Amino acid sequence: MAIDAANPVPPNFTRCAGADQIPPHVPPELVRSVGLTTGAEFLAAPHAYKAGLHHTQPPIFYDVSPHGNAWQLLRHDDALFALRHPEIFTNEGATPFPRDPDDYFYFIPIEIDPPHHRKYRNIVDPLFSPHGVMKLEAQIRERAKGLLDDFAGDGACEFTTAYGRPLPVCVFLDIMGLPQDMRDTFVEWAVDLLHAPDRETMARAMASITAYLKSAIAEKTAHPDEGVVSRIAHAAPDGVPLSEKEIFGFVCFLFIAGLDTVFATMNNIWLWLAQNPARVEEIIARPGDINAIVEELLRAWSVTFSGRMLAQDYTMRGVEMKAGDRITCVLPACNFDPEAFPNPTAIDFDRPRKTILAFTVGAHSCMGAHLARLEIKVGLEEWLKRIPRFAVRPGAHIEYRPGGVVGPEFVPLMW
Amino acid sequence: MRGALYNGVEGIIGECGGGLSCATCHCYVDAAWTARVGGPSSPAERELLDGAAAEVRPESRLSCQIAMTAHLDGLVVRLPEKQYD
Ligand code: HEM
Ligand code: FES
Repeated sequence: MAIDAANPVPPNFTRCAGADQIPPHVPPELVRSVGLTTGAEFLAAPHAYKAGLHHTQPPIFYDVSPHGNAWQLLRHDDALFALRHPEIFTNEGATPFPRDPDDYFYFIPIEIDPPHHRKYRNIVDPLFSPHGVMKLEAQIRERAKGLLDDFAGDGACEFTTAYGRPLPVCVFLDIMGLPQDMRDTFVEWAVDLLHAPDRETMARAMASITAYLKSAIAEKTAHPDEGVVSRIAHAAPDGVPLSEKEIFGFVCFLFIAGLDTVFATMNNIWLWLAQNPARVEEIIARPGDINAIVEELLRAWSVTFSGRMLAQDYTMRGVEMKAGDRITCVLPACNFDPEAFPNPTAIDFDRPRKTILAFTVGAHSCMGAHLARLEIKVGLEEWLKRIPRFAVRPGAHIEYRPGGVVGPEFVPLMW
Repeated sequence: MRGALYNGVEGIIGECGGGLSCATCHCYVDAAWTARVGGPSSPAERELLDGAAAEVRPESRLSCQIAMTAHLDGLVVRLPEKQYD
């Protein structure tokens, strides 16, 4: 049943978690417990591990974990099918991010299925379109240069804190219409929200973010401007203004979707560049191919997943799934599917253009994809102008934390 | 393509929003217009078109890569029977 986004209620779907909650229709030979985002192999080298799944696991298997049991889809074509059939694989209730049950709201647009979903996307899509984000290019370049000015002369930096996190936050604040002096606070909140080792810190971050975003929405309601927060606050699709819960659910989701994903992507990419100086030279020598280069880097360094829930029974590759089952499209693995991308672990800037899954596909294709591509492109171009040769600081230990957005915690660099 | 997407025109999906990554905005340019519209605007468009779900013909384009200008006012395109499987 379609949900009413203006009157949110916490979902009452059952969630299976752990070995004692495997539904009887799941064949025992497809049950695994591989620690997809938590296991030792994953934490040692997450992307190599995801690529290896094509050799170690069946294309569809049922993963059991204390965080929730779900079917895992590894194949590129299976993921395309699932993500393009929302009538079978729904988004309602598929976002596990916890919320206060007494003040419940939906994450918009991610938790809304078509056709209602389009109503929300239409509000802001023009600002995030290729044409819309092109207007931001000069400003992104200035932000990147400003950050580089602070440390390019130092001969060393910790990449994530110097560039990988602040650059996306500066750009985000600009597009949202929020003040730049919130930069360091936003970095801190975003990191605490998704990476804090304990639940109290996460909850505290969520409370601070909620309070700040609510006050920003109130301020933009009173004083409209060109930014995204204002645009959402004043939206009235088909003449009906959005409710307070819809406005908050939309703005809040942008915070969750638009920061950590870009941090992780940049941190992964720069780590690889630092380890592959010959490839950096290749990139510098091919300035006209920057778009293809960014696309290939996004394929190889995808950071997140698409979770869905079955709205009806469905059989895929002979595997019987039932309504209420959950699936995860393991996007970083799909991007290493050898049938879709021959010799998948080779990073090859001359691959023919093909649908990559970094930003997923289907109705919920990432709204920020054009912005993210531009940030990475401009961030890379400006960096390479100032710091064309760089390496990982000797002795540095690269560590990944468990979780749904895959990237190194710290990347100490020197040049 | 954006006009179709925002207004719910069936038959054109454009799920990546013009990112040259989904090939769900495939269209056939009417014979009277092919000369003016031209073929794929980049190697990437040509490569991505190869992955389109419906038959690819000489007049096939990814509509998100057709820049609409006054020059193309009145353009006629036909839509393939499907944009994905
Ligand atoms: C490299 C950076 C990024 C990556 C890898 C990424 C990845 C993704 C993925 C995989 C999804 C689909 C999730 C699902 O299917 O459940 C998604 C959705 C979304 N992303 Fe991104 N994203 C990035 C940057 C951004 C940015 C910068 C913004 C906004 C400022 C953003 C806003 C959104 C929104 C609003 C959705 C939901 C779209 C919908 O439901 O229609 N993302 N993103
Ligand atoms: S809209 Fe995705 S390729 Fe045209």
